[in-house]
Amino acid sequence: MNKQSMWSWHFSTAALVLIPVAVGINYIGKLIAGMLKLPLWLDSIGTVLAAMLGGPIVGALAGAINNIIYGFTDPISFVYAITSVVIGLVVGILFYKGYISSWGKAVVAGLIIGLVATVISTPLNIGFWGGQTGNIWGDALFAVVLANTESTWLASLLDELVVDVPDKLLVVLISYGIFKGLPQNVVQLYNNNDKVETLD
Amino acid sequence: MHNIDPISKLYYILFAIIIPIILPSFIVSVICVALSVLLLLAAKVIRKTLPVYSFVFLVLITVIVIQGLFRPGNETILFHLGPFAMHKEGLLFALTIVLRVTNIVSAFMLLVLTTKPSDLVESLVRRGMSPRIGYVIVSVFQIIPEMMSTMSTIMDAQRSRGMETEGKLLVRMKAFIPLLAPVVLGSLINTKERAMALEVRGFNSRNPKTYLNEEKTYSYSKWIQVAMLLVTIFAVAWRVFL
Repeated sequence: MNKQSMWSWHFSTAALVLIPVAVGINYIGKLIAGMLKLPLWLDSIGTVLAAMLGGPIVGALAGAINNIIYGFTDPISFVYAITSVVIGLVVGILFYKGYISSWGKAVVAGLIIGLVATVISTPLNIGFWGGQTGNIWGDALFAVVLANTESTWLASLLDELVVDVPDKLLVVLISYGIFKGLPQNVVQLYNNNDKVETLD
Repeated sequence: MHNIDPISKLYYILFAIIIPIILPSFIVSVICVALSVLLLLAAKVIRKTLPVYSFVFLVLITVIVIQGLFRPGNETILFHLGPFAMHKEGLLFALTIVLRVTNIVSAFMLLVLTTKPSDLVESLVRRGMSPRIGYVIVSVFQIIPEMMSTMSTIMDAQRSRGMETEGKLLVRMKAFIPLLAPVVLGSLINTKERAMALEVRGFNSRNPKTYLNEEKTYSYSKWIQVAMLLVTIFAVAWRVFL
């Protein structure tokens, strides 16, 4: 299938409308996860779906706007806008290259995205919180590793890793499942191949 | 505070973050935090800051405890906490973090609590931000309540079919998909209609856009911005020459 370049800055109206919906989906995901008292955030399903449907630029924009708007209730999330942008970019690129096209591949992609998110978030955690993440399980591990190894970076990396990798893995799997369940006419809306078929 | 240009408040955030970087000392950070808190008091929004501060302080307390106990380079023992020892170096490091986080959070809250998001977006669009991106940001505030009400409908529907939302972790994990998927699918399908509705109304038209509201005039914008610039230059000079 010949698509327009995935780096196109020419958004269709549909792609732009996708962004607020993505932010809404992130919010709902986080809300349900909180309501069911799940130990993960699950707050980037919308960003991942936007990147799958609209490409890396739309995914990155959705991530940035998501964290800027969360920032209105919780200023800390501004700091993590960079992580969200990178998640959007990476998912968009992987999906466009066809690396998320079956459940097996989605697992690998989820692990990759979790690792990337960890690598981006760790310096932010160190700069802002001195290395912690604010998640109870991760921070307990942080304390143990810090007490035993004297390395803030290692402790912080592991702290983020144990929370982020399972979280992003689940997010990618859930998003892939939803993507597969979407009706064709919605997916088609975002396929920028501009090919008009006529019946005459 | 409510009558100050949102753009000036954006500059203030930048200002509050940059000054402690230029002049890294406890006193400067404390002055910055105090300034933000005073402005929050003057704006009469200090009550609304309490939930945010209490969340932030909860995390900061764990930072203080963990850094005080385990920070590499801890030498001077201050006092004992059960079987563990609190150290001076770790506590000082934790203090820098506490000041940094409180400073950034306070400066942001000054913007967030005294500005309507739509006003902020409008002033940014007047300064050259793409109106399309402006629409995207404003419409988030419309879509979230809409999705919330869909979600509560779906929650009731699923519960009446006997779905369990409490109990073991596995049970709760299983409930996630049937709650989320219908909202997500529904709202993605709706994007098609929304996109068509916008295009019919000339969303993609290349003509310059007009505004629904008249431009608000804000008092003292220029003075505030000039004052902050002067203080920043002064801080740089202080750092370089003294």
